[in-house]
Amino acid sequence: MLNFDPVTLPESSEQLRAVIRDFIATNLPAGHRRNSDFTSGHAPEFSAALGAAGWLGMTIPKQYGGGGRGFFDRYVVTEELLAAGAPVGAHWISDRQTAPLLLGHGSQQQREFYLPQICAGTCYFSIGMSEPNAGSDLAAIRTTADRVDGGWRVNGTKLWTTGAHLNHYLMTLVRTSPPSENRHAGMSQLIIDLNAEGVHVRPIDSMTGNSEFNEVVFTDVFVPEGALVGTEGNGWQQVTSELGYERSGPERFLSTFRVFLELVRLVGRNPERDQAAAVGRLASHLLSLRRMSLSVAGMLQEGKMPNVEAALVKDLGNRFEKLSLEIARLAAPIDRDRQAFDQVLADSLLLSPSFSLRGGTSEILRGMIARGLGLR
Amino acid sequence: MSDHVSNEGSSLDDRAQSQRLLLESAHRLFGDHCDKTLLDGAERGEFASELAATLADYGFHRLADHESGFALADLFALLKVAGYHALPIPLAEWVLGNRWLGSQSDDTLVSIGQLSDSALVDVPWAEQARVWLGVTQAGVLCTVRPGTWSPGNTIAGEPSGTLHEGEKVAVACNEQPFELLALSRCSLAVGAMQRLLELVIEQVTMREQFGRPLARFQAIQHAVAGVAAEVAVAGKAHDGALAFLNTDRQRDEVAIAKARIGEATGVVTDTVHQLFGAMGFTHEHVLHHYTRRLWVWREEYGNERYWQESLGASICAGGADELWPFLATMQ
Repeated sequence: MLNFDPVTLPESSEQLRAVIRDFIATNLPAGHRRNSDFTSGHAPEFSAALGAAGWLGMTIPKQYGGGGRGFFDRYVVTEELLAAGAPVGAHWISDRQTAPLLLGHGSQQQREFYLPQICAGTCYFSIGMSEPNAGSDLAAIRTTADRVDGGWRVNGTKLWTTGAHLNHYLMTLVRTSPPSENRHAGMSQLIIDLNAEGVHVRPIDSMTGNSEFNEVVFTDVFVPEGALVGTEGNGWQQVTSELGYERSGPERFLSTFRVFLELVRLVGRNPERDQAAAVGRLASHLLSLRRMSLSVAGMLQEGKMPNVEAALVKDLGNRFEKLSLEIARLAAPIDRDRQAFDQVLADSLLLSPSFSLRGGTSEILRGMIARGLGLR
Repeated sequence: MSDHVSNEGSSLDDRAQSQRLLLESAHRLFGDHCDKTLLDGAERGEFASELAATLADYGFHRLADHESGFALADLFALLKVAGYHALPIPLAEWVLGNRWLGSQSDDTLVSIGQLSDSALVDVPWAEQARVWLGVTQAGVLCTVRPGTWSPGNTIAGEPSGTLHEGEKVAVACNEQPFELLALSRCSLAVGAMQRLLELVIEQVTMREQFGRPLARFQAIQHAVAGVAAEVAVAGKAHDGALAFLNTDRQRDEVAIAKARIGEATGVVTDTVHQLFGAMGFTHEHVLHHYTRRLWVWREEYGNERYWQESLGASICAGGADELWPFLATMQ
């Protein structure tokens, strides 16, 4: 059965809040359009300032330029950044996902090369998993890496690659052996330089009017031997080991937080009963989810792999994010100055279909939960 | 647990250990007694007096007395076990009532209702009780001497009376009875939902249609996953409140729990009934003993809307700039 032990943030982590709030107040880029979605805002200067202040790679050992801190410290800093609507898009994937992956599976050389840059907030990764014919069915990928002298030659296409037009590297899941009866065998992870010869990045306009994601085409791209992460053929296991980090964090239920905040501003200190109820409903959902999410952070801290619990947090969190927009828009009074509310509501509403698609669709997550319950 | 519930002068580890023993023996005791026959009997107005006497022998009814040595949080953990077994005894009322009554406490049964303009309403097992307490939303507590009774039933079929023109005597209480009773409904609900999750997993694994177990169908898997998610989030909403009993955060914590668990109740009861099909709609089946009680608990001592409003008003009063600092503090 699923397990969510209670967790209380240690006082030492709580003490970081005041510091990070000050940092945000000082460093938020002028004119930044605040939004709590982790993809909104690619601001290398802000990321580098975060890195310089020690707020990136917080759980990475000091020898690699990290903070040598625990998961709870990182949790506090990330949720503060999201709640403030700070631009975290540039460093988000490398800090959340690439750094722990390299620490766990990377070669010594990779750790020494990439981790200090990631912790400094100057090196940005995208994730190359989905393909034109491999969406939820990730094992169907066809991008191939063939052995050549001194490395691999990569051919294929990745799709929906968030930030590839802006970032430096792609953590790419490729086939190093042809598909066999074991569909999950024969895959490997390669670090591909997005500026390498033969890599073509084509931004794709999304329905928001921005191009958050891309198509990345590899044509005979040479990838050196040292770019293999972990063990050849072990890509599937490595990818699934990241899921606990990827799916349980505050970004899975705070994406629409600025809408909640602007609603509270709009209804004022003496709201109508309906408006108060809407605010209370939003808070009861958000806080219950946060406790679950913190519980998963506690398991990660203990070195566990709570993949099913993380899937559950993400599924519930994404549903709440969408519900929160419905609750907020119906509670918002029409006879007030709504400019700030309307703007963040519009931004969030346009992004909302992606909440339950990115990082594992609701359908995939519910399948994982069902397996955890012993139903499949 | 020994013959009598008592846990005086114990260390933190001892406390955890004695809570575990308490809950284990409650599971055994409730599990042995709360079968279909007992639950059906309760709907005919037959009080489980033998089980109630056993509970009193064990000292469960004095678990929250100030000298019991147990923490108040232990009571709410115990009520989850009661909800899991659909215990047809108003244990929350009995235990909390005895806590507040002090020297007037009672070993037979204490029941509690809500004071309306001229009556004491929704008093579970009123005619079996020997002491009656009334509470208001504002937290006023008083004993009520019997005037005229009108018998009634909850939609779970359990007796729930209304007392007219009773004589009221104020009871001094330095706690918030309405909030603690609201939380008791959360505890019962979390236990019952946990039971429903177990029942529904068993159902979809055993029941075959189209030549295979229901669990093989993706639509069914996703529905059960949805139940598991709501049960998990309900549990977290509940447990968070226990650390802040009788603190200035209690009201907001209870609000989070009652509001979120009320919403979870709707999803869980709807889905499990769908998955049990017509069989679960029969009186012969056990399912409704849990789902109907959940619908009762969801309404008692403020439904989700009542508590959403309470929490929302409290948040709005602080202003928008205090929203995140408030949420960040409420772990």
